[in-house]
Amino acid sequence: MIQRTALLLLLVLLSWPALARVHLLHGGQGSLAAVIARTAPGDTIVVDGVVREGPVTIDRPLCLLGLPGAEIDGGGVGDVLVITAPDVTVQGFTFRGARFSNLYDNAAVKVNGAERPVIRANRFIGCFFAIYLSGVRGAVVEGNSVEGLPEDKDRMGNGIHLWKCGQATIRRNLVRDHRDGIYFEFVTDSRIEDNLTHGNVRYGLHFMFSHRDIYERNVFVDNGAGVAVMFSHHIGMYRNRFLHNRGASAYGLLLKEINDGEITGNTFTDNTTGLMVDGCNRIKAEGNTFRTNGWALRLFANATACTFSGNSFQGNTFDVSTNGDLKLNTIEANYWDRHIGYDLDRDGHGDVPHRPVGFFALLVERVPYAIVFSRSLFVALLDRAERVLPTLSPADLKDDHPLMRPPHG
Amino acid sequence: MIMGKVLYYTLVDLARNRSVVAFAALVLAVSEGLFLVEADPVKALLSLVQVMLALVPLVSLILTVVYTYDTHEFTQLLAVQPIGRRAILGGRMGAMALALLVALLFGLGLPLTVHAPGTTSLVLLVAVVLLAWVHTALGTLIALLHRDKARGVGIALATWAGFVLVYDALLMALLFAFSDRPIEPLVLPIAALNPIDLARIAIMIRVDLAAMMGYSGAVYQHMLGSAPGIAVALTLMFAWIAWPTLVAFRVFRRKDL
Repeated sequence: MIQRTALLLLLVLLSWPALARVHLLHGGQGSLAAVIARTAPGDTIVVDGVVREGPVTIDRPLCLLGLPGAEIDGGGVGDVLVITAPDVTVQGFTFRGARFSNLYDNAAVKVNGAERPVIRANRFIGCFFAIYLSGVRGAVVEGNSVEGLPEDKDRMGNGIHLWKCGQATIRRNLVRDHRDGIYFEFVTDSRIEDNLTHGNVRYGLHFMFSHRDIYERNVFVDNGAGVAVMFSHHIGMYRNRFLHNRGASAYGLLLKEINDGEITGNTFTDNTTGLMVDGCNRIKAEGNTFRTNGWALRLFANATACTFSGNSFQGNTFDVSTNGDLKLNTIEANYWDRHIGYDLDRDGHGDVPHRPVGFFALLVERVPYAIVFSRSLFVALLDRAERVLPTLSPADLKDDHPLMRPPHG
Repeated sequence: MIMGKVLYYTLVDLARNRSVVAFAALVLAVSEGLFLVEADPVKALLSLVQVMLALVPLVSLILTVVYTYDTHEFTQLLAVQPIGRRAILGGRMGAMALALLVALLFGLGLPLTVHAPGTTSLVLLVAVVLLAWVHTALGTLIALLHRDKARGVGIALATWAGFVLVYDALLMALLFAFSDRPIEPLVLPIAALNPIDLARIAIMIRVDLAAMMGYSGAVYQHMLGSAPGIAVALTLMFAWIAWPTLVAFRVFRRKDL
């Protein structure tokens, strides 16, 4: 109680200079819509307890604060909170009851064409869409926990959904058991940092036509199909972790039609396919670690001018696989745990080139069921022979200066 | 009772003979060496799988065949005593199996527990021990069927090469020849008929799980990762131990020593 009073007092003091007022709403005693109707722009509404109210629209700049335990339950009518005014903050609530629908993208917090909304430290439980931003500039979505229904995954919408947005910051959120964890379409100049997406049916992160965005230190675990990045240019992906995305069409990171991307310092572990590069130009992948994936890197022959250097490939079933000749891309100075070589001049680079595409990888590419022969002595012998006298593997696909030890730890 | 005595004296003889001890030392050296040379325990374990799956069958086979020939006179001596042939052969094969088990537990089990404890290591150890037993049984049978030592050893080597290389090569040729027909469901069962392949696949299901989940792998994973799959694999393995043993007993009972 003392804490709450202190918090209230603090809020009052903070808002004093602007002459903004603070409205208090106890759950079950009056309606949120009515309180909003009484406010002036810049006011603050503090909510205590559980508010059960259908779609509520915030049509003026307000700060909506939830005290510990505050909850807004839309009751499964449609959206829960719709924001149409700029500079709205929503903080500290638990949201429930955005209606599942095949026609409408009902969301717990939907922002329509408003600028600079801040959605912070909320919890979303079993909402069809949790956070839905459409035509928004300068949004901040921070520290939210978005939890879908694990038993009802297939009906879920996206956790954090952005459509035609710019300068958004998505930071320190947890999204699990939704369709796509974080979904971007036509979102530019944005940052996605320190998020964790886990157990989503489709992609942990999915974005299309979204340019000049930066993805940093996110963790994508166990999503149905990993992360997909499509039809975008100038994106940076730094120090993310792609873990345990498994399945016939699951990728740690799927790049399709990406131009001028930078993929640096990421870790790909235990995925069926770590990194898939399809139709990309000028991708720079440096200092990434690929560990115990099925296929660490699948590089399609329609990729051009991509550079892979300083990466480390360890314990993967297949390091690199491809479907054609690879003259157009550069693979240089990576660490391969399969490399057998020596370094007489002690410059840290092996003196013999390493051919990362083994005979067996080519074989499995043609006859997938040959995977049964993985690690058989016969296959190992053929693999070794192929490396010495390459006849089937693309002659130009080789690392001329393989690293003798992993570049980082 | 008498079988127990035969087993005991054979064990003592095996210990004196030192070949099993040398085998244990070799396995220990290889495993320890791999773990020491490879900084990454995952990679060391993978190399170890490959080495052990080839080495252990070979050594078990050759060791058993050679030992059976070398102790032929001892067997003759036993046979003129009032001892049943069943007891003689049972004791001798049991002793060999026991000796190999101890050798592997010491040579392979110890490094695995120290450097890479986990389910994969356990699967590797169990698979390798079972393989050793399969090949002891086969080795005994081969030695009993052929009087000439050189011939026996040659056949043992051929058997090993057949399991390790030829079988896979033929199966792969088959896979390619029929690659446009739906033979996928057959590949795994046929591969599993070969004990070494079976052991390899049981381990691979664990280490290459990520790749197995792709494409066709889900089927394999489903077949072998589940409890019935493991039961089937173990049954097959024990069948591979059982049939040469039974045939060996039959042959030995009627054999003119």
